[in-house]
Amino acid sequence: MDLVTVNGLSKRYGGIVALSEATFSASAGEVHALLGENGAGKSTFIQILSGAVQHDGGSILVEGQDYRTANPDAAQARGIAAVFQELSLIPDLTVEQNIWFRHEPKTLLRTVNRAEMRRKTLALLDKYNFPTLRPDQELRRLTLAERQIVEIAKGLAKDPRILILDEATSALPAREAEWLLKLTRQLAAEGRLVIFISHRMAEVRAIADRLTIFRNGSTIAVHEANAVSDNEIVTQMIGRHLDRLYPERIATATDRIALSVKEFSSGSRLSGVDFALREGEVLGVGGLQGHGQRELFQSLFGATKASGTIELWGKPVSINNPRQALTGRDGIALVPEDRRGQGLLLTKSVRENLTLSVIGRFTEHGLLSRRKEADLVKEMVDFLRIKAGTPEQLAGTLSGGNQQKVIFGKMLLTQARVLLLYDPTRGVDVGTKGEIFQLMRELAAKGYAILFHSSDMPELVHVADRVLVMRNGRVAATLEGDRISEADILRAAMLESEAA
Amino acid sequence: MSAFLARNRLIVLAYAGMVVLLLVTALFSPGFLSISNMRSTVVLAAFVGIVALGQTVVIIGGGIDLSVPWVLNSAAIVMALLCGGQDLPLVWVMPLLLAGGALIGLVNGVGVAQFGVPPIIMTLATNVILQGLILVLTGGSPTPSAPALIQFLSVGRIGGFPVIALIWLALTLAATLLLSKAAFGRHLYALGTSATVAEFSGVPTARTTILTYVISGLTAAFAGMLLTGYSGQAYLGMGDAYLFTSIAAVAIGGASILGGSGHYLGTVAGAMVLTILTGLLPALNLSSGALLVVYGAVILLTVSIGSETFSGLGGKLRGKAN
Repeated sequence: MDLVTVNGLSKRYGGIVALSEATFSASAGEVHALLGENGAGKSTFIQILSGAVQHDGGSILVEGQDYRTANPDAAQARGIAAVFQELSLIPDLTVEQNIWFRHEPKTLLRTVNRAEMRRKTLALLDKYNFPTLRPDQELRRLTLAERQIVEIAKGLAKDPRILILDEATSALPAREAEWLLKLTRQLAAEGRLVIFISHRMAEVRAIADRLTIFRNGSTIAVHEANAVSDNEIVTQMIGRHLDRLYPERIATATDRIALSVKEFSSGSRLSGVDFALREGEVLGVGGLQGHGQRELFQSLFGATKASGTIELWGKPVSINNPRQALTGRDGIALVPEDRRGQGLLLTKSVRENLTLSVIGRFTEHGLLSRRKEADLVKEMVDFLRIKAGTPEQLAGTLSGGNQQKVIFGKMLLTQARVLLLYDPTRGVDVGTKGEIFQLMRELAAKGYAILFHSSDMPELVHVADRVLVMRNGRVAATLEGDRISEADILRAAMLESEAA
Repeated sequence: MSAFLARNRLIVLAYAGMVVLLLVTALFSPGFLSISNMRSTVVLAAFVGIVALGQTVVIIGGGIDLSVPWVLNSAAIVMALLCGGQDLPLVWVMPLLLAGGALIGLVNGVGVAQFGVPPIIMTLATNVILQGLILVLTGGSPTPSAPALIQFLSVGRIGGFPVIALIWLALTLAATLLLSKAAFGRHLYALGTSATVAEFSGVPTARTTILTYVISGLTAAFAGMLLTGYSGQAYLGMGDAYLFTSIAAVAIGGASILGGSGHYLGTVAGAMVLTILTGLLPALNLSSGALLVVYGAVILLTVSIGSETFSGLGGKLRGKAN
């Protein structure tokens, strides 16, 4: 019998239909993938299932019983837990305090039983073979990837019959992502149902038994995973045939050096990086996560202190803060790692976000010209095909892909021609991914110089002209031409570090 | 127009509340809507409004300024002492004390922006230090009376309009330009919404933060001098009421106390609401104790209306961000 059966599920937000007549069924011991573009209704669906949101119409049966929950606690009582991509952890608490938050083991006096909490934490981490996590570490000291792993532990701590993983691998480096896939299989083998959402097709193929495809709030198809091709899936997701994800790689690099970095160091994570980025070039930055990529991008942008020399277009510069980085045509702009925390003002409009970095340019005698601003905003919205009702729509209400486009627009408006793109396609739907790669090639052809990091290795392989592989805070290898392959990147990233 | 209403719903609500309150007050106290009474209400509201101008800017930027009572009080007392009841010294005393207010603001701003002191601690400390300095300076003795010119600015009239109302109007216009029409305003809202995003977007976050406290120091000092003219002299503790009212006016005006939203036009309504309330309550024969209770209740009510829309918006963001 099915563990979960959903029929005719509907949900509206004001005039916007998030789900209409969606169906779904899955049974215990199964890994069930949920696929769809951003805005297809996947998130709303799992929010309803996990008790964060109530549905307007339709029925949900869990173990044959009607299911309608008022809040996540009630959902957990019915054995459903969710791990969301927007991290729900508290920075000031430790790893274990976060894992057991509001479910702490208690002593007779109703105080927190720390010894018991530690014991249970270690048992949990051990049982599922978690990558190194110290229970007493403060959360704010952890990287995004480590926090995601804590979030997973928190979900498992509730011992759910149904575990929902929403984009749980998108913040994880390759090795940890692989662990999570193994974990998912283990959970299914224990008789649980894992509902798995990912934009990475390879992962879905590797672990899903069945998959359900959503489009525009409705269920489009249900497949046995081994009976359907990637192409069919993508076509059903986007409702049209997608020619190709990666644009043709035409070499547009010139001999002119746009960005030259020498002996660049920052803290313990970045120790002596040298490289040159040329005009018209897309230079990939790869390697295992945590080997200095984040520090490299943040330091170049002035968000983290660093030493060493930087030359932009042949001129030595010193960049101590993002404001200095973003100075006009000779500047350097960043698409940051954390879209919601670093990139966007979620409660402000698309217009205000787009022009934030260059607002001074629209002033005449100290006063803003709304008309000049509106013209440029419209130009950028059209150019990037940002899907927003009006430029006044709040950025937080856009889909992930469109949010990322707004950040690109903000960056392009600064007129900086050296662009730092840190994982720009993370959590972005496949259609927008294609547009972003296309845009990168177009910009390169116009003479922009692009430094590009991706946590998804195939992207580096297919989009970058050259790839810097980082290891222990240095450039371990520079791959060109035919030598750009996943195997070569991994080899350069891992081999010598294992020997050392 | 409807887009304007939707975006500024809380400000419109504040004005609606002000009108309702006016009518209710007129019901209990028939003379309340008379020209002369409205005039004195606006004059009283102007003091709150001017102090709350700086407070609005600081709160939008994500901070709070608890030093306004004694910046105000210090300016009042030092002005009275330096002028000794004469008009002529005002020529240099007023600019000097405005600069002094700005300097206190600079200290607050640098403490918050450069040294990372939490705004509550930083400004509370400045407030206490100023209080101590003034006590030492005066030894508790009364000050000379206010110069005639400053009295004219606070209680005089031009063509039937109170001079201070005209000053308030000019400041409102200036604040509106600053918030809606200057790059500073855009930077300010970004800073209050998310300091990290603002920093990553190249907003001069430190400079913007410091400037908010400088503006608040300026308006508090200015209000202190005007209030001396209104009272006829300066006295210890004259600024105390303005700590609560300046923050309350901002909150009633629809700004989020967490920063990133609100407008001075809302604060103007907030200052009016607070002042009309102080007119209504005596008409209801309420004691000054009861007045404080109602004051507090009104703040709670308005802030909860604000936070309801805030959480409603939050729900929308969570729901739609797919």
